Order: sequence, then C-alpha cells, then structure tokens
Amino acid sequence: MANDNPNAGEHIGELLSGYIDGELTQQDRQRVELLCQESETVRKDLEELRALRERIGRTPLGEFDAEAWGERMNDTGVRASALIGWILFIGGLLLAAGVFVVGLLFDDDLGILGKLIIVGVYGGLAGLLISVVRQRLIERKTDKYKNVRI
Amino acid sequence: METRLMQHELIRLGAGAHALAIQILGNRDDAADAVQDAMVKALTAPGAYDAKQGPLKPWFYRVVRNRCLDLLRGRRSTTETVDALPACGPDPESALDTEQRDSEIKQALEKLPPAHRQILVLRDYLDLGYAEIGVVLDVPAGTVMSRLHRARNAMREELKNYGE
Repeated sequence: MANDNPNAGEHIGELLSGYIDGELTQQDRQRVELLCQESETVRKDLEELRALRERIGRTPLGEFDAEAWGERMNDTGVRASALIGWILFIGGLLLAAGVFVVGLLFDDDLGILGKLIIVGVYGGLAGLLISVVRQRLIERKTDKYKNVRI
Repeated sequence: METRLMQHELIRLGAGAHALAIQILGNRDDAADAVQDAMVKALTAPGAYDAKQGPLKPWFYRVVRNRCLDLLRGRRSTTETVDALPACGPDPESALDTEQRDSEIKQALEKLPPAHRQILVLRDYLDLGYAEIGVVLDVPAGTVMSRLHRARNAMREELKNYGE
C-alpha cells in the first residue's frame, strides 16, 4: 500500500478486522472493498483474517455440552438454596443477638455488674466462634491440596 | 427475568462461558467452578440482571469474567502454567487433521496474553458483537476493534510457528 503514514497499515488492519465482523459503517466498508480491489496484499490479509476467525470459531474451546451444564445447574440449585439458607440463618442470628442485647440493656431487674457478666460470657463465646470460623476459612483458602483428587 | 427461564438460558450459555473462563484461568476445573459460581450468583440475585440494560448473554459473560478475575486475585502467588490448559500437544498417532488443527489453535491461544485470548474467544468463538464485547470487558465499544485487531495479529504470528 502506498502510504507514508506508519499508522496507516495498523488502521487498515483494524478496518479489515471490522469488515469481516460486519461492524463497519457503509463508508468504511466501501473503503475496504476499494482497497481490496487495488491491493493484492490487502485482499490476502483480509482472507487470512477471515480464515483465522473461522478456525477459532470451529475449534471446540468449551469442555461441556448443554446436558452437562444442565446437570451442573441442578447442583447450582442446591448451592443457591444453601447460600440463601446461610444468608437467612446469619440474618436471623444477628437479629436474635440484637434483640438480646437491646433486651439486656433495658432490663431494669439486672444490675450493671450482672449485665457486664452476661455480655462478657456471650461476647466471649461469640469471639471464640468467630475466631474458629475465621481460622477454618483461612485454612480452606490456603490449602494447597484442596484440588488434589484421591 | 423469570428464574426458570433464566436457568434455561444459563444452561445454554454454560459452554461458551466455560470456554471464556478457561482462557482467563487456564484450568478447566477452576473454570467450571467459576461458571457455576456465576450461575449461583445470577440465580440468587435475579434482580441484578436488568433486561432493559441489554441481553443476558454479555451480562452473564461479564459476571463469569469478574468471578474469574476474583479467583485469579485469590491465587496471587500461584503460578499458572500453560500445561494446565486443556489442549495437549499434537498426537503423533492421530490421523485426524482436524484434531491437530484444533490443537494448534488451542496451543497458540495459550501463548497469547489473557487480554488477547479473551477478546478472541468473545468475538470469534462466542460471536459477540463489538458493543457486547465492550460490556463484557468493561471497555468502550470503540476500543474493541483495535484490541481485537492486535489480538488477531498476535494469533497469526503464533500460528506461523505451526507452519501456517
């Protein structure tokens, strides 16, 4: 192509890509068609791009068919319901804890010391539970052998 | 969108999403997990998808891609080798030319940077339009054409190593 602009080749290449993808404006399409008529190199380039696109399109890159994904989707349903279950459980737990704390704060029969003891016991239990869960999550994330199949 | 309808659509999109996830994660099992996670996300929060914003396909591929990127961030130090990718070397005993050609494409794809692999799969394998690719990759549609061209050029260069 007789063009002194070093970026022109790149731009024409982009146009060729857009042409085979059907993403050009009418004006650009005509420009590409004209270039193809004028230049054997451009024509060859266009054919190469088209062939490449077809080859990639024909290559089976996915591993499972729709039936396999249907089976996985059933599993997905189980996982989704488990996720919803966890959300409801944790939400309920937080709500119950909130009700308990508010009830404790406004309990006139209990002195400050009694309230502090109860808060200490339950707070300590909650802290322990959270630390165990956190530890388990960290272990699960960093377990090098989790993907090893026996 | 109704959940059953969405389920049906997601099953249909599963294979394509898996192909995309393999290109990002380089491992078929992790890719399958990522797609499944994305399906769970789509089904547990069906309100997240707004049909008025566009078709389900690019939206779902975007969810899959984001999930893959999360997994990659989680891996951090884990090095991904091309050996983990599903393609294997040309089988000398194989008489099937198609198989070898498929293998060449897979191997050439493996050698490309992830950004190139993703855009090639989205356009040439999954047949998404530039606007849809823009949605999946979260880039303006205008930049898709130039990125795609660079990716195709890189792919052609790689394929030359296979006697193209």
